[in-house]
This record gives sequence, C-alpha cells and structure tokens, in this order.
Amino acid sequence: MNIWLVASLWVGLALAASMLSIRLGMAVALVEIGVGVLAGNLLHITPNDWINFLAGFGSILLTFLAGAEIDPDVLRANLKESLVIGTVGCLSPAIGAFSVAYWILHWNFQSAAICGIALSTTSVAVVYAVMIETGLNEKEIGKVILSACFVNDLGTVVILGLLFANYNRWLAAFVVLTGVVLWSLPAVTGWYFRKVGNRVSEPEIKFVLFILFILGGMAGIAGSEAVLPAYLIGLVLARQFLHNRVLMHRMRAIAFSILTPFYFLKAGSLVAVKSLVSPLAIIIVVGLLAVKMVTKFIAVMPSTLAFRFGRRKSLYTTLLMSTGLTFGTISALYGFSHGYIDRQQYTWLVTVVILSAIVPTLIAERFFRPGDESPTEPVAVALVAAGNRAESEA
Amino acid sequence: MFEKILVGIDGSEGSKKALAAAIAIAKRFGAELQSISVKERPSHYAATVGEVMEDQEEVNKFFAHVTEEALDLAKKEGVLMQCEVRAGHEVQVIIEFARQVHFDLLVVGFMGHSRVFDRIWGGTSQNLTKTAPCSVLVVK
Repeated sequence: MNIWLVASLWVGLALAASMLSIRLGMAVALVEIGVGVLAGNLLHITPNDWINFLAGFGSILLTFLAGAEIDPDVLRANLKESLVIGTVGCLSPAIGAFSVAYWILHWNFQSAAICGIALSTTSVAVVYAVMIETGLNEKEIGKVILSACFVNDLGTVVILGLLFANYNRWLAAFVVLTGVVLWSLPAVTGWYFRKVGNRVSEPEIKFVLFILFILGGMAGIAGSEAVLPAYLIGLVLARQFLHNRVLMHRMRAIAFSILTPFYFLKAGSLVAVKSLVSPLAIIIVVGLLAVKMVTKFIAVMPSTLAFRFGRRKSLYTTLLMSTGLTFGTISALYGFSHGYIDRQQYTWLVTVVILSAIVPTLIAERFFRPGDESPTEPVAVALVAAGNRAESEA
Repeated sequence: MFEKILVGIDGSEGSKKALAAAIAIAKRFGAELQSISVKERPSHYAATVGEVMEDQEEVNKFFAHVTEEALDLAKKEGVLMQCEVRAGHEVQVIIEFARQVHFDLLVVGFMGHSRVFDRIWGGTSQNLTKTAPCSVLVVK
C-alpha cells in the first residue's frame, strides 16, 4: 500500500475514534486505544517507521502538555502534602507491582520493573475531570490532590527515565545539559516570546519543539527516555503557558489532530486480544489491577487521613489516585518497544492500565462521591442577577 | 394553583416549547419560575487536563447562551425567572433540585428517543414523570 493510503487508513481510524468519542461522550484517548485494538486484531495494521515517529512525537508532546498544565504556585503552596502523597502514591504500587511480577509471576527484572512503573502512575486528567463535578478542583483539598497526582507522575517519569539509562558519560552529559536548559529556559523563553510575539509562522511552538527534540535526542543517546525531559520542560514552562492560553490551545490542537491519535492507535494496535482469552490471563489482569489499587490504598489513604481529609474524602482521593492512562501506556509501550516486555506482557499491562482508568473512577463515583458539593455555575448566577436587575429597572 | 414552577431547559426544540409553556403558566398563576439546565459530566478518561478544561468551557458557553435566551424570553413576557446550571445526570439532578426547593410543578419538553432506547432505558421525560416529587407537565 502506498504512503498516502496508509496515512488515510490511520487518519480514518482516528476520525472514526473521534466520531465515536463524541457519540459516546467519552474522551478520545480511550476510544483511540479501543479502535487501535480492533484495527490491530481485525485489520492487522502494523506501525511503520513514520507512524512510529508520529506516535513517539505524540507521546513527547502529550507529556510536555501534562507538565505544562500544573500551576507552579499551587504546587509550591502545597509542596509538603503533595510531595508526601505523590511520592508514596508512586513508590508503593511501583514496588508492589514489581514484587508481584518478579516473585509471583516470575517475570525477569526488566519486565517486572516495567510492570511496576506502568502501574505506579495516576491520571491527573481523570482526577481533574471527576473533581470538576464535585467542585473539589476549586477547593484547597482538590489542589493538594492534583499537585500530588502531578508529583506521582513525575516520580513515574523519573524512574522510567533513569532506571534503564546507561550510566556513562552520555548520561552525565544529558543530566548536565538538561539541568542547564531547565534552569535557563523560563528566562530565555520569556524573553524570546516577548521578542517574536504572535506570528503566523508560530516561532514559539517551533522553539518549544526544538528544545523537546534536542533533549529527547540526548535522552535517547544516554539510554533514557524522551518523555523525562519533556515533562520537566513542561513544568518549567508552565507559568508561560498558564498566561498564554492561545499558545497552549494551538499546541494541544497540533497534538490532538495529528500526533496523539497515532500514539494511542499504535498503543491499542499492539494489544493482542488472544493473549487475554484465557483464565490465567484474566487472573493476572485482575490481580495486577487489584495490586495497583491495594498498594495505592495502603500508601495514599494514611497520608490523606494524616492531612485531615476525612474518611470519605480520603477514600475518594485514594480511588482517584488509583487511576492511570497516559503514563501507564507510555511506560508499557516503552518497555515493549525496547524489548523489556513481550507482546503478551504488554497486552496485560495495557489492559490493566485501561481498567485502572475506569474501575476506580466508577467505584469512587458510585460509593464515595462527596455529597452536596455539586457546584452551581457562576455564569448562570451572573445572568440571573443581570436579568433580575434589568427586570427591576424595567 | 401553582406557586413554584421549575422548567428544564437544554436548548433543544422540546425544551423551548417547555419554556414557553412554563412562562405562560407562571404568568397566568403569578408563580415563581426557575429554570434548571443539566450539563453532561466531563468525560472521565481524558489524556490531559487542558482537554477537560476546553471541553467544559465550550459546555459553559453553550449553557450561558441557553440561559440568556431563556431570560430574554421570560423578560419579554414580564415574568421574573431564576436560572441554575448543574452538572450530572439530568434525571437525578432535576429530581434532586425539585425536592430541595419544593417546586409544585415541573415542566419539561418531550425528548424523543428510538423505541429500543426507550424500551431499555426509559425516556428522560418518562423517568422524570415517574420519579418527580411534584406534578409534571411534558410539553410536546
């Protein structure tokens, strides 16, 4: 098949996923993975070099956006709680899942490590979406939870970036270069953005992509992973992007239209459904999901109670922090593409990651949703006030 | 006969008819009129926070427009109306709100679904009629 027909097939799948996500009222990422699973197992699509490039680019940009979405002031204001909850929330499932994979499932060290990393994550986006409903995202406790989720994912990215790295001079060079870039980037970027302003040629976006590629390339040479610098670059540039929502919107538009569909479709297409159709596979998938949730519970619940969240909100927070999606699939795909896990293990891990986006959220919503906090929309209140004022004037 | 009327609005043709009927009844009986709009819950399985935020902004803009239109219509008819926008499942939210504020009439538009959908899940207006704590007027 020629390149344009291959492109039409993949973009057609992305389009189908978008339409389906609109129809189902679900976020497109999960639907793209699902469509990828169907296409990989029924149409037997396989990613080629340029699809791998777009998918990799998508995961880098997705990670950058995730880093750039945190409000640094909120993180700083809640640093102690966020660090404690986020760190234990990352390490506990990482160690727990690694232990189960290594000692019970008898996976080798690298495979077990990928299992631990993939299940150590949380999903800031999933947590945020659920919090909007309860109004918790506007409250102090909500900000602490979101910051903790960010720290949790930062831990995952750091472990992924450093555990498999080659500890040699290239890694040292990468660490030094990353440190210098991260230190100087906020000031340089601020100056550069002011200098170039808004242009149709999008020099701001090209600048950010240039930095992402340079450090991603260095990470690759050092045997590390490009998502590590991408997340950190996102973090140090968060303030610039927080004040430049148009730029953020443009970057998100680039990511979601042409890059992340390839990433999520590819992640789904590599799932081998036949590896799930056996009692053993089901036991392993359910068992690993249980390990993730129990280890999160053991670590996060006491921490949230210690910070006086109260029992119901602690349970709710713990369940929300048991979610995972983006970084879980990134870790599993990293493991598969570097040969640390085989396709069967990849299939199990991605299935657990997808279930972890759904199951804890459903349980939290169904049984532990904090009550009577359904927010009234300020816009409606303002309109009512305006309407009433106009009425009384009339 | 009716003192506190609640009308569900979502910008659909059915809800516009319901609003017109609710305004007419409120005017006729000198009743208090309140609208409620229920926006869908944000999608739970997004990849980025920005995606959720943008989605919510779009939804908020839409309901601001719906509310503004409803207020204009009520104002034209000389009826004072208050508006509320909440997130969640439309039947649950409307019923909960009707209970909280003790309305004595709920006015909703008829929402047509396929026969299969109605048979399995029950229509929204049908579920509201079954569970509402007050009289329900379904406007077709």
